[in-house]
Parts: sequence; structure tokens; C-alpha cells
Amino acid sequence: MSDADLIEVKSEVEFEDGDRELVDVNGAEVGVLRVDGEFHAVRNRCLHDCGPIAEGAVGKKLVGEFVEPGKRVEKDYDDDEPIISCPWHGWSYDLETGEQLADDDIVLPTYDVVVEDGVVYVDGSSS
Amino acid sequence: MLRSDESQPRQETLDQYYVIDGDCHYMESFHDVAEYMEEPWKTKFENSNFDEKGAKQNLSSFFPFSTGDRQAHGKIEREHSSYPDDPETPERIREGMESIGVDETLLISHLILAGAGTTADDDRQSAFAKAYVEYMREEVLDPDDGIHGLAPIPYGDLEASMEILDRIEDEEAYVGACFVTAGATPPLGNRKYDPLYERCEELDLPAVFHTGGAGLDEYVRAGYQEMIETHTLGFLESNMSQIVSLVCQGVPEKFPDLDIVFMESGITYLPGLMTRLDEEYLKRPEEAPLLEKKPGEYITDFYYGTQPLEISAEAEYLEKCFDMVGTDSLMYASDYPHWDYGRPTTVADLPFLSEGEKKQILSENAKEMFDL
Repeated sequence: MSDADLIEVKSEVEFEDGDRELVDVNGAEVGVLRVDGEFHAVRNRCLHDCGPIAEGAVGKKLVGEFVEPGKRVEKDYDDDEPIISCPWHGWSYDLETGEQLADDDIVLPTYDVVVEDGVVYVDGSSS
Repeated sequence: MLRSDESQPRQETLDQYYVIDGDCHYMESFHDVAEYMEEPWKTKFENSNFDEKGAKQNLSSFFPFSTGDRQAHGKIEREHSSYPDDPETPERIREGMESIGVDETLLISHLILAGAGTTADDDRQSAFAKAYVEYMREEVLDPDDGIHGLAPIPYGDLEASMEILDRIEDEEAYVGACFVTAGATPPLGNRKYDPLYERCEELDLPAVFHTGGAGLDEYVRAGYQEMIETHTLGFLESNMSQIVSLVCQGVPEKFPDLDIVFMESGITYLPGLMTRLDEEYLKRPEEAPLLEKKPGEYITDFYYGTQPLEISAEAEYLEKCFDMVGTDSLMYASDYPHWDYGRPTTVADLPFLSEGEKKQILSENAKEMFDL
């Protein structure tokens, strides 16, 4: 990564939890989000039908655990796996890895987000 | 009566292959099975005037219990079976097998297929299934002669089902457990059936899901006119509904060593089901949280009987279906002596299969899966 690869988003103090910003990264529209204090950046183009994924609902992955035969599968949300879902058809991706939750061969481009001197940047070389 | 000179048409083709039939029906008699029933069912049956009051073995000919006539309006004859009117006898099994070119067979109850239409009680099916297991073991099955059995599981009654699984634990004659897919409510992926799958897995008994005609008239909606409609759709729907339920509820993840087989809906429905379910799963994975891969990949992990194979379809299309399901997941099944049975030639004649693949489907997959 060089400074030339960094695309400025906005200052960290103005970037509140839940905020989203769209930036141009080498010609691609990228959504930058702050979720529970963490920054994430994803290509704003769902791999299903090119929907605006970065504008979609953010949530947590629902996981199930088989406890024992005959018992209900225990279901809960995994706090460590934030996800984002496309508002068009609901395709969901792991915000960190970009993997489609139903098929990890489908990977939405993600980018590193760095904060330098109080400014949030997307690393354009990181996808 | 005119008779062909060739009593065994295509014998030369049939002779080339060792054939295991994954789905043959023994046309057992209510009377024979009743001898093995526990009370009060034995007395109830004996006093019921069965036959004398007109409820015959084949009770579908005039007043159908599901649309249509299994004799296809008098067109069907079975020289080597008593189908459809009279009970079978054990000595005719070999005759029937030889007539279609089968060396080993897996027998599934004929009458239990209609049992799923019984909605008044959950006792009658259990009484029948338990007696059937005893009758077949005692009088019909002969594993040394290649005649194996699948035990009917009256899954609506878990206790009776577990008793049957316990009963066949050390019985060499039984090589699998049979679940009739018609009428299963809730569908068979529901957690209530988990103990049955757990026990099958423990006993290394494949779970064989077999569609059936019970309730066909109103399988989803009432008002169909002909059997061509209900049989085409209903047999398919009964299997599809259970495949979707098993996969989405995670049965293959809960019981990873359980072998799962589906019988009697042909092959071409599977690619359609796989692709549709995968498409749904990509949008709604949170509804099947036990899955570790796409639903279609579990579907191809299951085994499928070939009958009734859609041999009149374009070869290119059928070949694609075989490719998608995988020849390692297919096993020849005749459904003999039922009206739409298929001979091993249905597989042997396919132009796109290699000799190795034909052998896989005609015997090797079944031999391995059922440990024959």
C-alpha cells in the first residue's frame, strides 16, 4: 500500500456508527460503513443482479446448532459475524470477508479501511 | 393366444450384466400378513369379511382409492406375477426376477404404500408393518438367494417404528428401512423423526424413501380427473417435499453417516429441484442454518432409484440430468410388477453411459450401499 492507493472518505470523528459513504475506487463504487465501531468497505454492486448492496441492511449471521436428536435446533445470531444484505433480493455477505453466506465461492470484493491522522481512507490496492 | 417366439426379448442384453433391483414389490396378501398380526388387529381383520364384502386385494379397479386404475384399463398383464388381483407367493419372486433380468432384489411392501392414506388412527399402519416384518422374514425373504427386504417404518408411531428397528437389528434379511413419502405430516425432516434416523445410522441401515399413491386424489388439491395427472404430479411431489424437508432441516448434517435413498420418481425432477432450492438458499440461507453447503450438493449425496426412467426424453437432456445427479448416486430399480415398471434395459440401452457407469447403476452402487 502506498499513499497513492488511499482514497479519502471523511474524518473519523464525523464518521458515526451506522454511517455509510460511497467513494470511487479506481472506477468502482465502494461503500464504506461503520458497524459497532469497526470500518468495513465493500463493492457497491451485488454479485447477484448488481443491486446496491452497500445500501442494504446490516445484521449478524444467524447460526444453528444441533444439540441432540429430537430437540429443536438452537438458533442465535453470531455477534462476531456482521453481514450485509442486498435490498433487491436479499443476497447476504460476510462484511469482513465478502463471502456470500450461502456459497463461499461467491465473494464480494472488500477493501481495507485505514485511519491516518484522524481521516478514514479506503485502500484501493487491497481488493 | 398369440405369443412371441422370444419369451425373453433382449435376453442377450440382460445377460451381460449382474443386476440388483433396488425396488421390487412383493404383492403380499392381507390374509397372509394378518396371521402375524398382534391382537386386537388379527381378530379385527379376520372378522372384517375382507374379500367377501367386495374389498378385494386390488380395490382400485372400479371405485378407486386414488384416481385411476393400476391395470391401465385392462392393458396390463403380468405373466410372472399375480399383479394386480391376487396375492403373491414366495416361489414366484424368482420367476418375476428372471423374467426381467434381475439377479438380486430388494423387496418393498406393496400394501404399505396405501397405508399412508390411513388418517383415522396411527395404530393400523403399525400393526400391519410389524406383522409384515415377521411374515416376510419367516416366509418370503431369502438373502442367500438374493432376496432381501426393506422394513416398513410406520413413522407416525415412533415407538412402533423403534420396535421394528430393534427387531431387525440382527436380521440379515433386512438391509434397509423404508419410509413411504406420501402422507408424511409433518414432513420427514421434522425433528420428531430424528430418533429414527439416529437408530438407522447406528444400525448402518440405509433410509429408503419411497413415494406412493396414498392420498393421490387430493395430494395438494382435489379435483383432478385422471391418473395421468395425479400420478405424474403426486408421485413427484411426495418425494420432492421430503427431499426439501430433509435437506433444509439438516438431516444429512445431523446424521452424516446415514445413507439416504429416494425411489420411484425418475431422474429428471432432480436437477429442477436442486437448482430451484439452491436459488432460494442463496436468498434465504438463514432459514437452513445447519447447512454447510448448498442444498443441491446434499441432494446429489443421496441415492436415487432410476424408475420410472424418462427414456423417451432427448438423450442430450437425459445425459445432463445424469451428469448433475451423478452416476455414483443412481441405482437401477424396477418397481416390478407395478404398471410402469422398468427393466434393466432402461439403463443398459442409454447411449451416453460407459460400460463402467452402467455396471455402477445396475448393481455396484446398490451392492455397496446395502452391503449385499
